[in-house]
Amino acid sequence: MDKKIYGLMAEFDTPTELVDAARQVRDAGYKKTDAFSPFPLHEIDEALGIRRSILPFLVFGGGVVGLLAGLGLQWFVHVWDYPLIVGGRPHFSLPAFIPPAYELTILFAAFVAVFGMLFLNGLPQPYHPVFNVERFALATREKFFLLIEAKDEIYDYEETRKFMESLNPQEVFDVEE
Amino acid sequence: MLNASDYQVPADISRWRNLAIGIGGICTVILLAVGLVFPNQIETALRAWLLGFMFACGIGIGGLGILHLQYLTGGAWGVVMRRILEACSRTVLVLALLFIPIAVGVYNLYEWSHINKTDPIVMHRGWYLTWGGFVTRAVIYFALWWVMQYLLNKWSAQQDQSATYEEAATHLGSATAFSGPSLVFFVLIVSFAAIDWTMTLDPHWFSTIWGFLYVAGWSLSCFSFVVVILAYLSDKEPMNRILGKRHFHDIGKLMLALVMVWAYFNFSQFLIIWSGNIPEETPWYLRRMNDGWGWVGLILILFHFAFPYLVLLSRDVKRNAKYLAIMAIFILVLRIVDMFYHIAPSILTTKEYPKFDAFWLLYLIGPLAVGGIWLWAFFGELAKRPLVPIRDPFLEDAIEHGRGH
Repeated sequence: MDKKIYGLMAEFDTPTELVDAARQVRDAGYKKTDAFSPFPLHEIDEALGIRRSILPFLVFGGGVVGLLAGLGLQWFVHVWDYPLIVGGRPHFSLPAFIPPAYELTILFAAFVAVFGMLFLNGLPQPYHPVFNVERFALATREKFFLLIEAKDEIYDYEETRKFMESLNPQEVFDVEE
Repeated sequence: MLNASDYQVPADISRWRNLAIGIGGICTVILLAVGLVFPNQIETALRAWLLGFMFACGIGIGGLGILHLQYLTGGAWGVVMRRILEACSRTVLVLALLFIPIAVGVYNLYEWSHINKTDPIVMHRGWYLTWGGFVTRAVIYFALWWVMQYLLNKWSAQQDQSATYEEAATHLGSATAFSGPSLVFFVLIVSFAAIDWTMTLDPHWFSTIWGFLYVAGWSLSCFSFVVVILAYLSDKEPMNRILGKRHFHDIGKLMLALVMVWAYFNFSQFLIIWSGNIPEETPWYLRRMNDGWGWVGLILILFHFAFPYLVLLSRDVKRNAKYLAIMAIFILVLRIVDMFYHIAPSILTTKEYPKFDAFWLLYLIGPLAVGGIWLWAFFGELAKRPLVPIRDPFLEDAIEHGRGH
């Protein structure tokens, strides 16, 4: 036991068992939890009490910044830095400015969507302790896993392990750091 | 397997149907009376009728277009709303009848009917801008729309009678194979119809994107209308067993997309005319940016685009049938304002620009008149078939889709 423990992981045979167990884990008050499944389980967000991502708001913010950047750039170029008369129109000609501003809105929003998603997921992540459990490789094939991290406030090795065994898993593993 | 008898329309739909024909009838009588009592207001009354007709046509014919589209794309949203789209499409004949006042009133409605022997530009359009040409084309449009809806409705009815999965899939295959080529013609017809019926109000002016303004606008009208009907059905037997949050979410996303498409086409038209800045094209916008019409344009930008766009970004709004239906009604009202902006500022047959007076209230009555009669026809058609395509091979999947998170 000289290795540090990252958390405890339980293995289940079916998605239903995983979701049921996740509900009990949530109800017991654990917060630093995660679930692993070979395919998406729509119920698991609710079962684990995962809150909705703030990503949509970030993307919206990205779009607004892009819009302002697009208009600002054109204002700077056409009005402030190098004013030219084009087609006898005012320097600040909003209709002509809208297409580039619109493109930058999309561009910034898309950048925030992609990189914000990676950031919020903590990616890229070359190392993760869960892979120290040999059977965890089956999470991409036929087995379902539930993890409680040692960082959790109410985590206690003996207590948590006993609790996880009461969930009728196939097995409970120590996940080493 | 679902039973057709379990999926009939709720009983209280007949109340709405009576209300619709009541309002539609009264408003039609008001328009007729004004036309008879004030002969110099016939033109305003006809314009109000045209406004109402373009609005109702947008929902009915828009429904025919979306019916094509959902066969091509597939997806749960199309399966759960197919019967509503079919009911919309089966109103083609009623719409053709509602078109009669416009066909009869060409001389009171379109300036080109007065100048097509004298004005060099209109003379150059030759046969195209004559009463005969106008009515012949309208007959062709309605005939082709009728054939499209007849075939799609026929296959859908046969699917309901199918005994086996294979048979049902064959009829679905027929509808899908027909929808692709037919949709191409459909969009062309809508484009021609929009040019005939509203663009020629200003006989010199032209815009090549005009048809697409109507393709986008009518699709948006149709989706908004379907959302209102689905929201009404969703908390009653039998559709509360079918509809789920995700169905509304999907349709809400399509509404959001169409709000943007509408704005995109309108802005494209404006940008091209603005940057070209040539006298053949600018009068249409100059007319609609002065004399207070600029405010109507601003209302369209803010409330036909910006406000619905921001509200529909929200996932919570799209997933809530009630909120989405309120938004849809709001958009439908703005669709009328959009048609108003196209029709009302145009030059009169007396070669004057219309001046604001009390008779402009007719523009409120027109949509109620045509819309009421159309809605009556729609509810009648809706009651004729089960509310879901009971033998559709994808029905189970579509219902399951709605139950997910």
